[in-house]
Amino acid sequence: MKILVVDDESIVLESCKRVLEDCFEVIPARSADAALEVIRREPVGVILLDIKMPGKDGMSLLREVKEKWPNIPVIVMSGYATNETVEQVSRTEAATFIAKPFTPDELVDAVAKVIEKEGKP
Amino acid sequence: MFYSFRSKIIASFLGVTFLVGIVSLLVGGHLLTKSVLGEARNRVSQDLNAAREMYDNRVRMIEVSLNITTLGYGFIVALKEKDTSDLVFRLGRIAQYGGLDFAGITDEKGQTISRIGSHSIPGKKSQSPNPIVTLALEKKTLASGAVVLSEEFLNSENPQLAERARVDIVPTPGATPAAEKVVTSGLTLSAGVPVLHEGQLLGVLYGGILLNRDEKIVDTVRGTVFRNEEYKGRSIGRATIFLKDVRVATNVPAQDGGRAIGTRVAEDVREHVLEKGERWTKQAMVITDWYITAYEPIKDISDKIVGILGMGVLEEKYVDLRWRTLASFVLITLAGMALATLLGCFLAGRIINPVHRLIRASQQVTEGSLTPDIGPVSSGEMAVLQNTFKEMVAAMGRRRAESQDRLVLSERQASVGRLAAGVAHEINNPLTGVLTYTHMLLRRKDLNEEVRADLQTIAEATERVRKIVKGLLDFSRQTKPDREQVDVNRLISSTMSLMENQALLKGVGMVFKPGHDLHMVNMDRNQFQSVLLNILINALDATKPGDTITFSTANSPVRNEADQEGIEISIADTGCGIPSEHLNKLFDPFFTTKEVGHGTGLGLSVTLGIVQRHGGTIQVASEVGKGSTFAIWVPLEGRVK
Repeated sequence: MKILVVDDESIVLESCKRVLEDCFEVIPARSADAALEVIRREPVGVILLDIKMPGKDGMSLLREVKEKWPNIPVIVMSGYATNETVEQVSRTEAATFIAKPFTPDELVDAVAKVIEKEGKP
Repeated sequence: MFYSFRSKIIASFLGVTFLVGIVSLLVGGHLLTKSVLGEARNRVSQDLNAAREMYDNRVRMIEVSLNITTLGYGFIVALKEKDTSDLVFRLGRIAQYGGLDFAGITDEKGQTISRIGSHSIPGKKSQSPNPIVTLALEKKTLASGAVVLSEEFLNSENPQLAERARVDIVPTPGATPAAEKVVTSGLTLSAGVPVLHEGQLLGVLYGGILLNRDEKIVDTVRGTVFRNEEYKGRSIGRATIFLKDVRVATNVPAQDGGRAIGTRVAEDVREHVLEKGERWTKQAMVITDWYITAYEPIKDISDKIVGILGMGVLEEKYVDLRWRTLASFVLITLAGMALATLLGCFLAGRIINPVHRLIRASQQVTEGSLTPDIGPVSSGEMAVLQNTFKEMVAAMGRRRAESQDRLVLSERQASVGRLAAGVAHEINNPLTGVLTYTHMLLRRKDLNEEVRADLQTIAEATERVRKIVKGLLDFSRQTKPDREQVDVNRLISSTMSLMENQALLKGVGMVFKPGHDLHMVNMDRNQFQSVLLNILINALDATKPGDTITFSTANSPVRNEADQEGIEISIADTGCGIPSEHLNKLFDPFFTTKEVGHGTGLGLSVTLGIVQRHGGTIQVASEVGKGSTFAIWVPLEGRVK
């Protein structure tokens, strides 16, 4: 399965890749435009999205993705893990939320949960 | 405004003085008139009494001189013997002593035997009736008093007398129109004494004075009663004897200089005195001057009213006195009014000047000064006002300092929050890397215990860092609302004043339209202030010089889903507006149109969070180029748990 990771920080992209590459094909994208290009080109199973990115921000990308490809689950990452942000994000159509910094276990659990949910109709 | 206050004070002082002056003038004038003229009238009345006395005395004098004569023996003899020449001689003597104009002696039947005057020894031809003699014979005793004698009689006594008695009647305005043109009878004061000897009536001795054109009596009366007092070159007193209603003896001056003989008395006097026999006092125009006059009837020996005795006092003296007094009243009033004006000016100044200074001081405070000059402190209520003003300005200054401090504090807090959030975010990315790689390493099976232990240490330390950063993030915002009853209008005012200077520097105007009777709202004051500040700061960023930001509040007719009442707060700006594609992302966390590092994009999301935690909503309307309006609805009672 292909997992698209969208974040403007390369350390985050590398960490995700390192954690997930054993089980998945991890495709990094540095910007929303790059991410869209990937989604159009290839069948993506899960999207890991950093909610704050300069330029085209994460929220609008999230909406666009959900509009055009509603079946792809999106996991939102954020460096601001406050109750508010959690609340706000939960109102969007993200599948789940993880806060940075996360441990490899947390990341894997999140992905597994999302895929499991996806499996159930 | 100041001039009208001063003039009001002066006007009221003047008004009072004027009123008082007028009242005292009227009252005083009235009393004065009454008393002065009353006095004058009394005086004239009394003068009339005196004149009457004198008149009566004259009659008595005539009586006496005749009476004494009848007692003389020589006289009796002459009469008995009808010695006419002796009688003439004696009569002459009596007349001289008594000042008589006529005198005579009759026989026991009333026929004149002898008289003084031209026809001293009358013949037997028919004689004119002699009323005094007739009465004396009738009463058989002394008769005396006023007697009107016919022209005939007078002529027979002495033609000169008849001539003297003749008075042409002068038409007088105010008198009853008369048929006669001339008075021919004479008004006399006469006496008749029956001469008795040994019980036998021998005859009647008579004599008297003709009042017509007589000057002695009226002048003597004037001299005695008025003591020849003069006023402005004229005698103040007048005496008159009227035969019927014609002046026959008087010292009232005629228009041509002489005495006003022949003029007539006014109609009302004639009616009251001559016809009704009353005493009459009045103010009258006599010839040319105004007099206070008094009249009484002259009755003859048969008690018939034959004439009038009149007295007059020149009114002018009294009238002048009255005017002089009134004039001094007027002068006093005027002086009082002048004084009132001065006093009013002075008093007004004392009140206005401190007020002036306070007004100037208020203007200074408006312009920003905290040390306005209110001038020297007066006394009394003005001092209280001045001191209260000073305290108020001091309190203002303190509050302004406080709000400055609070602004600095909240700005600092906000910037700490922003810093913390920014730093936290920045740290979290590389921290992700550290944490994941450390854990990945820990998963390897080919680590010796030492390496594993060291890695474990690193992992734990990294965990701690994660917790610290999270704590930092949590600290930078208090999420639990601290509720109290808040007057939102005042909250908005203080928020506006916090950003006042910034708005001023930017040239953007701020307007507040507070709602009337706005309900109090249960809310966290600081959090809500950050909501208002956040929207205001965004508005300031969106506006340019000349634009306006308008705050308004109102009690809302709308209720929320929990059926709560609420208020509406609206913040409208005339700035650049928000493009529609941004509108639905506005409250997203991390949505920002600013560059990296210039805004976290958290402001509006935090703002929305606060409003929602209070149970409220925010709506935005905007048009590019025209401006934006943020409408906040918040329930009075806060969020229902």
